[in-house]
Amino acid sequence: MKTIKYSVILLLLIAAVLLPVFTDAYFISVAITILTFMTLSLSWDMMLRTGQLSFGTAGFFGLGGYTAVIISADLGVDPYTSIIIGGLVAGSIALVLGIAILKLREIYFAITTLALASVFSVIIRNLHKITGGPSGKIVYQTLFDYDSTKIYWLMLGIALGTIVISELFKRTRIHFAVDSIRADEVVAKSHGVDIFKYLIFVFVVTSMIQGVVGAAYAQQYGFVSPESTFSAHYLLLPISMALVGGIYSTIGPIVGAIILGLSSEYLKLMMPYGHLIIYGVIIVLVVLFIPRGVYGTIRDFISERKHR
Amino acid sequence: MKDLEKSAFWKKNSKLIYLITAIALLALWRPHAILYGIQRGSLYSLIGLPLSLTLGVVGIMNLAHGDFLSLGIYVSYMFFMNLGVDPLLSIVPVTLILFGVGVLVYKLTITKVLKSGHLNQLLLTFGISMILIESLNVIWTSRPRNVYVPYASSSMTIANFTFGTYELLYVLFAFAVLIGFQLFLKKTRLGQATYAVGQNPRGAKIVGINIGFVYLVVFGVSIAILGIVAGVMLPRSSIFPMVGAPYTMRSFCLVAMAGLGNLPGILISGIVLGIGEAIVQSIPGYSGWSDLVFFGVLIAVISIRSMRRLAL
Amino acid sequence: MRRVFLLAIVLAVMAMMAIAATPIKIGAVVPLGDITGDQASKAMRLAVEEINAAGGVLGRPLELIVIDDELKPEKGAAAIEKLATVDRVDFFVGGMSSGVHLAQIPIMKRYQKITIWIGAASYLCENAVGPTADWYFHLHPWDYQQGESYGRGWSDIVAAYPEITTDRIFLAYEEGGFGTASYDSYIALQKLAAQGEGTWAGVINDFRGESFKSAALGGGDYRAMLQQAKAYNPDLFIWAGYDADALPILQQAKEIGFAPKLFVGAPPGWPAHFGDSPLAEGVTLYGMWAPTLNKVSPVAEHFWNAYIERYKEEPATYFAPLGYTNIYFLVEGIKAAGTIEKAALIKALAELEYDSPIGEVLTISPSNVIKHQGFTAQKILQWQNGEQQVIWPLELKTSEPEYPFPKWEGR
Repeated sequence: MKTIKYSVILLLLIAAVLLPVFTDAYFISVAITILTFMTLSLSWDMMLRTGQLSFGTAGFFGLGGYTAVIISADLGVDPYTSIIIGGLVAGSIALVLGIAILKLREIYFAITTLALASVFSVIIRNLHKITGGPSGKIVYQTLFDYDSTKIYWLMLGIALGTIVISELFKRTRIHFAVDSIRADEVVAKSHGVDIFKYLIFVFVVTSMIQGVVGAAYAQQYGFVSPESTFSAHYLLLPISMALVGGIYSTIGPIVGAIILGLSSEYLKLMMPYGHLIIYGVIIVLVVLFIPRGVYGTIRDFISERKHR
Repeated sequence: MKDLEKSAFWKKNSKLIYLITAIALLALWRPHAILYGIQRGSLYSLIGLPLSLTLGVVGIMNLAHGDFLSLGIYVSYMFFMNLGVDPLLSIVPVTLILFGVGVLVYKLTITKVLKSGHLNQLLLTFGISMILIESLNVIWTSRPRNVYVPYASSSMTIANFTFGTYELLYVLFAFAVLIGFQLFLKKTRLGQATYAVGQNPRGAKIVGINIGFVYLVVFGVSIAILGIVAGVMLPRSSIFPMVGAPYTMRSFCLVAMAGLGNLPGILISGIVLGIGEAIVQSIPGYSGWSDLVFFGVLIAVISIRSMRRLAL
Repeated sequence: MRRVFLLAIVLAVMAMMAIAATPIKIGAVVPLGDITGDQASKAMRLAVEEINAAGGVLGRPLELIVIDDELKPEKGAAAIEKLATVDRVDFFVGGMSSGVHLAQIPIMKRYQKITIWIGAASYLCENAVGPTADWYFHLHPWDYQQGESYGRGWSDIVAAYPEITTDRIFLAYEEGGFGTASYDSYIALQKLAAQGEGTWAGVINDFRGESFKSAALGGGDYRAMLQQAKAYNPDLFIWAGYDADALPILQQAKEIGFAPKLFVGAPPGWPAHFGDSPLAEGVTLYGMWAPTLNKVSPVAEHFWNAYIERYKEEPATYFAPLGYTNIYFLVEGIKAAGTIEKAALIKALAELEYDSPIGEVLTISPSNVIKHQGFTAQKILQWQNGEQQVIWPLELKTSEPEYPFPKWEGR
């Protein structure tokens, strides 16, 4: 059983890496977008597993992007390093903020993280000299000069790294800590689990991932602006993908990203007007009829059959 | 008993009294800003009150809240353009129509996700929000429209101080809706049942309250209230599909600030935030930071409250 | 041998006929969900239909492929990729948002197809394209060019009508990218004017700017800004925001009793039926086009009638005639060059003069960074009796300016 699983994974991996060879640049650019959102979706799900609903994805995504573009344009840092630094900056800010707000619970934490993206956006918008203000900032040398194949491999690498981290979280001690926190905090605490330490750790790691993705995304196009980089789009879409695919899993966000990413692009080509209505209808139908997400339903179905 | 009650009243409301005094002092310093702040803040509260009810009783985070407001504004606009009905008069039919819409949406979709958990409810309302916005866009295009009634820009002058009078309607309606809700919850049977459901759904069920019906009414009423807001906002606002969307986020902030189930708190928070915004906007060169007031105060209040509850 | 030769000739002729029948493909990327993109694409389609009905170009029909950029940068970029690789278009046209365009520019630079763009006013786009992009033609005026043209406009107006003065100017700008770009260009122009240089010299003496949150982005309360404007008492009040701000700003100005002698609005478009509102009377505006140009320009009149007949709706934004211009400019260039070969076509387009329904003749000249810029100026118009009348350029004017801005009482 296990060898079959591993060989399937290996085949998928090879197919993913070789994708640019078989398809055209358009499909690759759609794939890049899907990978970007997939990574955001996975990072959001990882935080969700601790029981804390975070709405901060867009905020850290934008922070990473702005950091990368600012240090690239003003300090001449090369794009690749800037992506790493973007992630580190996002992570550090997450650390500081996390210590302050992770004591909040549930909806209050969620709303505060939601407010974060707006706060970052307002601050950046008003600091003209450093950030270029509302018009945004551009950097002339874009990543790989927009060679979509190389960008695809970079995003694929980031996505794979996130998948590995997600699985690591599931298999190590972190998994037990996190699951037990989600189930019942009081019980977890009485077992000696330092809730706070684990929450901060997961928060910082997921924010770093979001920062890295944001930096890579910004460097790809070579520009950032408060209106587009902090858009709620980068929050709502990853969450939808995780929910459509199936939360509390690694495969769920992956599946959800592929489904929603492909359908949004191809629906538009089929229906130039009103395709977003259909998109909304799809989401509503999925919630009503497949509440556990596509992967979640399949997984439960399989395990039900196993236990017959 | 009476003396105890009296001193308890002052104690409980001392913060409120300090607040009102502070506002009065600020009014002497920057009268226009305070007035605009109270007016705008009341609008925020007016939109936030129904959301607080839904969130507190039914437990749903309705991401489409502001988009139902947009829908109401368009319906109100239709009454004005096609039937010549004055916006304030159209409040009556629009409220009824939106109540119907709320009930319909509830029956079709929300009943099914009540058991699926908060996240699925979130995703559902996100889908509904998208459908609403895009449908409005397809039917009416993104080009803004306006209705003109002469009294919408009326003003009054008291002792050399000229101010606009229309937006005082926001204040009026905000207080009216709040008082209406309080009366409903305390004095009517359905309202008391609603209060019970909000406190303890399982307990309410055991006592024989029809939870489904309560949820239905609450959801319907919260969307219906948006119909009132739509009628009042119509003459002052440009009409376009995204007009209501920013108020969703603001309403959630108000709920977070006031705390679940604290309806008067919504009114107070709304006005305080409105005043904060207006003051920052009146400082030349710094109006771009006014958004920060909203979020900054929100974060501060939440943090302070959570630190107090740090017994766990 | 002769038979083989004959066969070869027949095959060659058949091949040429096949090529002749293959369409020339034009790829357009516009925001279909917004009225500007929607009407631009409809106008483009109208142009293509007219041209094909007249026999096409070089004997070949035109094919127009339009993709929605959804006002999102990554979607706009993906659209360019699709048009280039899947649809294999020969030319790129369209555009509206600067933000979206910035994401498309790196990709366009890779393909280097002849691009004729009608959107994007931000100078950042110009910088991103760079000076060596021969294949890039930009028809929409850059933000700094618009600012300069207004200086020329007001100079002419103040000279022609001595009672009009624009000494003290108050700019209310929306706090996003669009408004702030306006503010930055006014500051720069005022600095030049203070040194006696630039198009605003002698027309502007004192300048003050204040930001506001546009209704389109969740704001809509201008009273704080209007109070400051009232206290400043300007000769000319101008607001740079969006169509959603147009009537609310007037309403609130009326409410606080602020009626400057010149009330100017500079949004990219105006709300539906704005002219019907009694508050609109006397509002001056910056724009690129107005329906009243039909009176002075036969091309404009033809476009207006053809668009209404085809789509049963009126063009509501200057992006409609601009979209029409987009296609015709390209096609006239191809006809002048006699080929779609790149170097020849670029040369032909650079030297082309096209009488456009925008109401002026389109010619190409360099701007600050790029070589091929089209329109460099906007017009100054005024709402009178529910219609937009042109008051500058003086050669195109369709009415005298109404001055000062009428009082609020009775409206």
